[in-house]
Amino acid sequence: MTDRRRNLLILGFVALLMLGSAVAIATKKTRLGLDLKGGVSLSYQAKPTKFAPTVSPEALDRSIDIMRKRVDALGVSEPEIQRSGADQITVSLPDVKNAQEAVDQVGTTAQLFFYDWEKNVVGKSGKPAPNDFSVTGGPAAGQQGCLPQFDAVARAKRRPAMPSSNTSSGNKYYLVNDKTRKVVAGPDETEKALRTGEQAAKLLKRDPELRVVEVKAGTTLVQREPAAGDLGKDGPDCYYVLNDSFALRGTDIKNPEQNFDQQTQAPNVTFEFTDAGRKKWQTVTREIAQRGSSFIATADGQPVTDPQNKFQHFAIVLDKQLVSVPYIDYQRNGDGIDGANGSEISGGFTIKSAQELANQLKYGALPVKLELISQSQVSATLGQQALDQGVIAGAAGFAIVALFLLLFYRVLGGVAVVALLVYSLYFFALIKLIPITLTLPGIAGLILTIGVAADANIVIFERVKEEIRAGRSVVAGVAAGYKKGLGAIIDANVVTFMTAFILFVLSTAGVKGFALVLGIGTLVSLFTAVLLTQAILVLLSKTRLLSSKGALAVGDRSSDKPAWGGFDFSGAARWFFSASGVILLIGALAIGGKGVKFGIDFESGTRITAALVKPADENGIRDALTKAGVGEGAQIQGITDKTLGANAFQISTKQLKPVQTTKATAALDAKYGIRGSPDTQSIGPTFGNTVAKGAIIAIIVSLFVISAYIALRFEWKYAVPVLIALMHDILIVAGVYSLTGREVTTSTVAALLTILGYSLYDTIIVFDRIRENIPRMPRAAFSQIVNRSMSEVLTRSLATSFSTALPIFGLMVFGGDTLRDFAFALLIGTLSGAYSSIFIAAPVFQHWKEREPVYQRRAGRIRDENGGVVPAYATGSAAKQVEIKPRTGKRRVTTPDDPSQGVSASEFKQLVDDLRVDAGPPVATADPDFDPTADARPEDTVMKDTRAKPKKPKAGKPRNRNHGRPR
Amino acid sequence: MAAFCWIMMGLAIWHFTIWLPDRFWGGIVGAFLGALIGSFVVALLINGFSIPGRNDTVLLSALEGVPGAVLGIAVVYYEGIRRSNAAQAPATA
Repeated sequence: MTDRRRNLLILGFVALLMLGSAVAIATKKTRLGLDLKGGVSLSYQAKPTKFAPTVSPEALDRSIDIMRKRVDALGVSEPEIQRSGADQITVSLPDVKNAQEAVDQVGTTAQLFFYDWEKNVVGKSGKPAPNDFSVTGGPAAGQQGCLPQFDAVARAKRRPAMPSSNTSSGNKYYLVNDKTRKVVAGPDETEKALRTGEQAAKLLKRDPELRVVEVKAGTTLVQREPAAGDLGKDGPDCYYVLNDSFALRGTDIKNPEQNFDQQTQAPNVTFEFTDAGRKKWQTVTREIAQRGSSFIATADGQPVTDPQNKFQHFAIVLDKQLVSVPYIDYQRNGDGIDGANGSEISGGFTIKSAQELANQLKYGALPVKLELISQSQVSATLGQQALDQGVIAGAAGFAIVALFLLLFYRVLGGVAVVALLVYSLYFFALIKLIPITLTLPGIAGLILTIGVAADANIVIFERVKEEIRAGRSVVAGVAAGYKKGLGAIIDANVVTFMTAFILFVLSTAGVKGFALVLGIGTLVSLFTAVLLTQAILVLLSKTRLLSSKGALAVGDRSSDKPAWGGFDFSGAARWFFSASGVILLIGALAIGGKGVKFGIDFESGTRITAALVKPADENGIRDALTKAGVGEGAQIQGITDKTLGANAFQISTKQLKPVQTTKATAALDAKYGIRGSPDTQSIGPTFGNTVAKGAIIAIIVSLFVISAYIALRFEWKYAVPVLIALMHDILIVAGVYSLTGREVTTSTVAALLTILGYSLYDTIIVFDRIRENIPRMPRAAFSQIVNRSMSEVLTRSLATSFSTALPIFGLMVFGGDTLRDFAFALLIGTLSGAYSSIFIAAPVFQHWKEREPVYQRRAGRIRDENGGVVPAYATGSAAKQVEIKPRTGKRRVTTPDDPSQGVSASEFKQLVDDLRVDAGPPVATADPDFDPTADARPEDTVMKDTRAKPKKPKAGKPRNRNHGRPR
Repeated sequence: MAAFCWIMMGLAIWHFTIWLPDRFWGGIVGAFLGALIGSFVVALLINGFSIPGRNDTVLLSALEGVPGAVLGIAVVYYEGIRRSNAAQAPATA
C-alpha cells in the first residue's frame, strides 16, 4: 500500500470515529460525580463480626449487595457503591441532601437478636437474677436497672467464657480509664486491634495507665435505646450486661414491613417467622410465659400479686442496642405465642424510622460491621459552580495551548490544533461511552492531557524542524521527524500511562477519577497526536501550504552550529546544582520550622461551608455552635465566593458525627438562615491514614516501575539520575508547600504523583537525545555529547514545559479552590521537572558516565589536544559525526512481493520516495583520516538497545533488501 | 516528618559536592547515597534511635541532618581516594 493511500485510509478512519463520537456525545448522558452535581458520599471501613470473622472480598461483596438494595429503597438514582482497597466501601448518593438519613439507612449493620430478657440480664453477682427488679427493671424492663458503661464492663469482665452457637459475638476488648471511670475506646474483636486503632493508640501514648479489659464470649453489653434528648451524643451511658444466649436472630424472620398498631395507630414493624423461627418463637415465649405465671416473690422476698408485675419480657436488640422490651402476657399466652401470624416490633417509632428498620430487616444484616470513616455532602449549587469553573478552565486551557501552537509552529501548529480538537471530541465521547464518572480531579486530568497531547506534537515538530534545517526537503523532513521522534514519545507516554495506572490501582476514590482520565487521555492523545497529524502532514507536504520553511517556522540556522549560542550546559550545571541545593536547604528548614499544613483528608476533622442569609461574624457563629455542643476548637473563617455571596463561612472542627454535623448546620440555619444546603465534609483518622499510606505506596511503586522501565529501554545507569531528579522535584514541591503554608490535600498527592510522570516525560526526551548522540560522536567527551544533546533539545523541552504549564495556568486562573490547589502543585512540579531534567538528571548522568574508562581516555586525549581543557562543544576530529543506520528493520516496499517477478512500477515509485526520505546531509565519513573508533572499544560505538537484535542476513535473500544504507 | 527533613537536608548538601573533584567512591551517585544515608543514620543516632513525629519536628530537626550528610560524603570521598590509590599502587611499584 502506498503512503498516500495509507494516510487517506487513516483520515477516513478518523472521520468515521469523529462521526461516531458526535453521535455518542449527542445521545449519551455525561455521568457527573458528586462534587459536580451535589449529594452525599460515605466511606466505610469493614470490621469482622462473629459471623464473618475475617473481612473477606466475599463478605464485602455481600455487604455491597445488601447496601445497594437499601439504597434502592431510598429511591436514589445512579448510586455508586464500590469496594475501595481491601476493607473499605465507598457509597456515592447523588442528589441526597440528608447525610444522617443516608448513614442510618445504608451503613447500619442491622444485626437483630431476640433475647429472653429476665433469664439473661446479669446482676451484681455476675449471674442472671430473674426475680430481682433492680437488675431486670421489673415492669419497667429496659428502662431501669442499667449501668454506666464502665461499671457494665467491670461486671461483664468477671464472667467466665461461655461460648456457644447462640452467642451474638466473640470476645470483646475495651480500653478503660480507672481515674475517670470511663470506657475511652472499644469494643474491638482483639486486643491488638484495639491497641493499634487510631483513637486508642493516641490515648495510650498520652496516658499509659489506661487499661485493656476483656469481656469473654458468652457475655455482651447492650445499650439502652437513645431518648430524644440523647441526640448528638454516643447514646445514653446506660448499659445492661446480658448473658449472650439469644433465642432468635434476624435470619429467623421474614417479610418485615412498616405498619401501624391497630389499637394506638402508632407506627410499628410487623414481620413473619420462617419455619425454624416459628418453632423457636413458640418455645421461647412459652418459657417466658410459664416463668411469669410461677413468679411469686421478688429476690428480696416481697410477694408479687399484681399480674402486671409478673409479666416477663423478651428483648429485641439491634446492633447491640435495645429496640424494645415487650412483655408476654402469661394469662393470654400461657402456651407461648404461635408464630403463624408473625409478630411486631413497636414502641417509639416514627413512620420513617419504622420504614428504615423494616428495610434493614428485609434486606438482611450486613455480614461485617461498618465503621463510617468519612462523610461528605456537596450542595447542588456548589457542584454546579465547580462544574462551570472546570469547563471554563478547560476551554481556556485549550485556547491558550492552541494559540501557543499556532504562534510557535504556524502551519504545523494548525495541524496540531486540529488534532487537539479531534482528541477532545474522542475523549468526551469516551467519557460518555465507558462511562467515566466525571469528577473535579477528573476535569483537572482532562485539562492536563491537553498539554500532554500538545507535548507529543511539539516533540515531533521540533524534530521535523531539525531535519529541515539539516537540509532535508519538507517531505523528507516530516517523514524523518516522525520516524525519529516516535520512540521518545512512546517511552514518555508509556511512563505517564504507567503512573496513571499505579495511581488508579493504589489511590482513593477522588484520585482514581483523575488517574483514569489521565490514563485514557494519554492513550487517545498518542493516536491523535501521532497518527492523525502524520497523515495530515504527509498529505499536505506536497502542497504549497508546506512548501516554504517560513510556514513551518524553520529558521536558517545551520545544523552544525550549536543552538543556544554554544551555551556550556555542563559547565553551568554546578551553578544550577548549587541553586537547587539552596532551594532544598530552605525547604528543609521551612519544613522543620513551619511544618507542612495537612488538610482534613489527612488530619481528620469536619469542615462545613455554608452561605448564610443574614450577616454574621465569627463570634456569633461560634456562639451558635457552642450552644449546639459542637463549638469546641472550631476554626471559623469567612470566604469570598461569588456564588455563595457575602456571608459565606467555612467552619473546621474536630471530626463530628453526621448527627452532630446536622445539629451544627441546624443551629446556623436557625440563627442566620442558610441559603441552599451547606457543604459538609467529615473525615475520620482511618481514612486519612489510608490516603497517606496509599500515596506513599503509590510513590514507591511508581519509582520502582519507572526505574525498571528506563533500565530496560535505555540502560540501568540512566535510571539512577532519573530517580534523583524525581526526588528533587518532589522535595522541592514539599518545600514550596511548607514555605507558602498551602494545605496538602489528596489532590496535592495526585498532583505529586502526576509530577513524577511529567518530570520523566521531560527527562526521557533529554536522555533519548543523549542516547542517540553517543554513537554519533564516537570521539567526543561525554560532557560534549551532553552539551550537544542539550542544545538540540532545550527548545523542545522548554516548549513542552510551556505547553503543559499553559493549561495548568488556565486551571489556576479559572478553576475553583480545589482545582486551584491542584494546579499549584502541578505548576511547581512542572517547572521543577523541566529544570531537573536539564540541570539535575543530565549533569548527574554526565558525571557518572565520565568515570567510565572510555570517556576518561577520550577526555584525556581532548585535553592533550586543547591545552589541558575540554572545550564545551566538540571541535576538530571529535566533532565529526557518524551517521547511524536505522535501528529497526522496517520492511521496505522495495522488497518485491514476489522476488521471482522483480520490482513493479509502483514499488519502484515507492523506492524513490523512500530514498528521498533518507537523503540526509552529507556525513563526515568521507574524511579518509577520520577514525570514529579511535578511542572506543567496539561495544562503545554501538547503541545499547535491547529491543531488537539485528537479524543475521540469510542466504538467498534478494540483494535490494537494504536500501537506506549510508551513501 | 523529621526523617523527611533529614533526607531533604542530605539531598540539599549533596548538591554542593559538584564543586569537589569527582573522587568519590561510586562517583556523584556514591556521594548522593553517602549524603542521604549519613544524614538519616547520624540524625537517628542524635535522637536516640527514634524519629520525632510531626509535632516534635522543629527547625533544629532539619539541622540534625547536616553532620550526617557531611560525614557520609566525607566517608565516600575518603573511600574513593583509598580505592583509587590502591588501584594505582601496582602500576607505580
